[in-house]
Amino acid sequence: MQNTAFREKEGAMNKRVHLIFAMILVFVLANVALSQESILIRNGRIVPVVGEVIPNGSLLIQSGKIARIGTDIETPPETIVIDAGGKSVYPGLVAVMTAIGVTGYPGSGNDVNELGVITPQIDPFDAINPEDSTIEVTRIDGVTTVMTTSGSMNIINGKAVVLNLYGNIAEEMVIKRDMAQIFNMGAKGQVTFGPKRPGNYPTTLPGITALIRDQLNQALLYAEKIEVREREEDKSERKAEYAPFKRDLALEALVPVVNGRMPAVFITSNEVTIRNALQIIKEYQLKGILYASADILKFADELAAKKIPVIWAGTTTIPEKWQPYDINYHTAAVLSEKGVLFCFDILGFGVNSHRVRNIPVPASISVAHGLSEDDAVRALTINPAKILGVDNLVGSLEVGKLANVVLWDHTPIQLSSRVLKVIINGNVVPMTSVQTRLRDKFEKIVNERMNKK
Amino acid sequence: MKKRFVFLLAAAVFVSANVMSQDLALKGGTVLTITQGVIPNGTVLIQNGKIAAFGEDITIPPGVRVIDCKGKFIMPGIIDSHTHIALSSGDINEMTDPVTPQVWMKEALYPEDHKILTTLAGGVTTVKTMHGSANVIGGVNVTIKLKTNVLPEEMIVKGVRQQLKLALGENPKRFYGQEKGKMPFTRMGTAYVMRQAFIQAQEYKAQWDEYEKKKKAGEKDLKPPTKDLKMETLKMALEKKLTVDCHTYRADEIVWLINFCKEFGLDLMQLSHCVDGYKVADIMAEAGVSFGGWVDWWGFKEEAYDGCPYGFKIMYDAGVNIVINSDSADEGRYLFRNAAKVLKYNDIPEEEVLKMITLNPARSLELENRIGSIEVGKDGDIAVFEKHPLDSTTKCLMTIIEGKIYFDYAKHSVQREGGSYE
Repeated sequence: MQNTAFREKEGAMNKRVHLIFAMILVFVLANVALSQESILIRNGRIVPVVGEVIPNGSLLIQSGKIARIGTDIETPPETIVIDAGGKSVYPGLVAVMTAIGVTGYPGSGNDVNELGVITPQIDPFDAINPEDSTIEVTRIDGVTTVMTTSGSMNIINGKAVVLNLYGNIAEEMVIKRDMAQIFNMGAKGQVTFGPKRPGNYPTTLPGITALIRDQLNQALLYAEKIEVREREEDKSERKAEYAPFKRDLALEALVPVVNGRMPAVFITSNEVTIRNALQIIKEYQLKGILYASADILKFADELAAKKIPVIWAGTTTIPEKWQPYDINYHTAAVLSEKGVLFCFDILGFGVNSHRVRNIPVPASISVAHGLSEDDAVRALTINPAKILGVDNLVGSLEVGKLANVVLWDHTPIQLSSRVLKVIINGNVVPMTSVQTRLRDKFEKIVNERMNKK
Repeated sequence: MKKRFVFLLAAAVFVSANVMSQDLALKGGTVLTITQGVIPNGTVLIQNGKIAAFGEDITIPPGVRVIDCKGKFIMPGIIDSHTHIALSSGDINEMTDPVTPQVWMKEALYPEDHKILTTLAGGVTTVKTMHGSANVIGGVNVTIKLKTNVLPEEMIVKGVRQQLKLALGENPKRFYGQEKGKMPFTRMGTAYVMRQAFIQAQEYKAQWDEYEKKKKAGEKDLKPPTKDLKMETLKMALEKKLTVDCHTYRADEIVWLINFCKEFGLDLMQLSHCVDGYKVADIMAEAGVSFGGWVDWWGFKEEAYDGCPYGFKIMYDAGVNIVINSDSADEGRYLFRNAAKVLKYNDIPEEEVLKMITLNPARSLELENRIGSIEVGKDGDIAVFEKHPLDSTTKCLMTIIEGKIYFDYAKHSVQREGGSYE
């Protein structure tokens, strides 16, 4: 399960990276559950997503990674051969903003949305349960990588982690920790819903924006304190002033955000919250990612120019009364045309993570309304991988990437398409889930009861 | 004076005929009749709001508006037998008492709801819009056609039994037991509340039957029993003037409810959500009750944990009338895509899957003789699709109700001429 290639990469990383941060990365990538088996998929329509489709191609997997792609690959000794029967081989789909791994057991509650207004220190990694039933259900429908967040109800929610949906312990699933910090520009909900605390600040959008600015200012100061403290040669008064230092885990979590190392996802719901998010990204020079469910087209040119990516969750949002019925259906096509880097999401966090397998739904609707099928597939694979910063590992079929490979009987854009085979990190995944087990059990029970009559 | 009256009457008839229906010929498309196969190059003729003819060689009478459907797919209007659209917001759940059969959803119909148009744009022509599931006995649902710019009364489908909403499981427990500290706190409490209400209704009905009998026999000085609107509605259900749709998830509740309805002589038409339906598919088929639920929703609460998209095949093989519902203003816009998902998880023929959003919901609404397929004499309710409705990259181009075009892509899309997405 060791992977030296990743370590070399880390060695080359910027020396200024916080030591703990680097240690976490080494720890994470060293544990990814890579298969040692050699697998050859042949006689498949290979859709690498980047580059041309190979109509009758082969794909070789070695040590959990894609070793070769082509038309004429010899079978190495002791290789498992999978005949694709002419069906299509795609990279595993990548889903964002999920709660997979933290949905909890039925009736016992989930681990999403910690109480609080500002909870940047919350890390979903601390609750990842490899036995979470959503993992099997989601991966056998072709989604192999997910970003799991700590929630969305708070103004500053916490971190996100990127998982491959295979592994017996959380460490084996993680391909990226501290992927982003999640801000919600419209989270008045934590005051009006949940534990009701009427009168709590803030209850307006300007209040939320002010509170975020305040936290980012404090984080900048906190970062400065750390820097001055760690500068050994510094004998200044400032050093003495910062000497009695009390750690604050919330501010500590925001330091990589204000330093521009960790992306900040801004959840928006309308024009006002989008504008406020863009303003904060600009003011603090953040690595911003917009999460939008409406009104994003007004900002498409600006987003393309500033290269701010978009998680577009609005395809399945009903437009406002004054908008054309299909404005949201049509949005992905325009984002694509304008060159905005975007991926799909379906609205709904937390418990709605049970529906992550439905991620092709907004893609299919968007294709019906003008998006090309190729762009739709990219928005389910390589685009989210880029947005999550894991495109060096997943999101396309390319030599050297982790072998997250899915065999489909037709394109993933068709909701009737079936997934025939799933490979994650080179491991052939059993096509079973709580739902296939229920099917097998009750098919038998119902048949037996009917035969008795 | 009399002459003038006759003239006005004639004018009224003429005007209403023009407003209500339009003679249309949908020409040269692939006609998915649902009950009589597929006609590759077919035409559907609608006259006076009804389907007058369909087939390959249809003579189009003069004066009929012809719509070219070359390359398009023509199917009966889609039917959603569980939604909450077209109701004014805040008027869906009368959450003040676990037993509220006295409320009628037709009194919350709100023609200005823009979700009527967004749903129409998904090829949907008929919906049953429902009371919520907070109460053990909720209100009376209303089946409507998605006509825009009409009065509420004109939307309601007449001449058919409307359905009373019942609810079991977690929702009544949560809204009353947990939130209000009031019965039901448990499923046993829910069973008691429902049974108590219907026993009371039986007694009420007996009093009124006795009174009516004596009155008919000519007895003098009779004092009528007190009118109670809750009991009046339940009496209608006992008399089979109303049918029943019950919100259920778990298999044990499904069986319990089927037995309960037998005991009280209630006509149970649909089990809504019915997430565990596949576990008792044979029992549902024998009871003749429709499954009305989602294809793949699961796990969003404890009682939904065993949702299973593969269960459709078990129900299909057992002979259950399977109906795909949205219970969502969003998904109600693309029930045809949800139908395509049935094919993903189950080996069921395409034509049978299409029935799950057309003829099968029509059956669960007792409207199978009026809507749900393209047959001569049925309502002229049609959806025209760009590609086959089970192709997930298709879209609806036109929705017609009783011969009138209520949705037209060319007119409503953001991509129409002069349209703007900014």
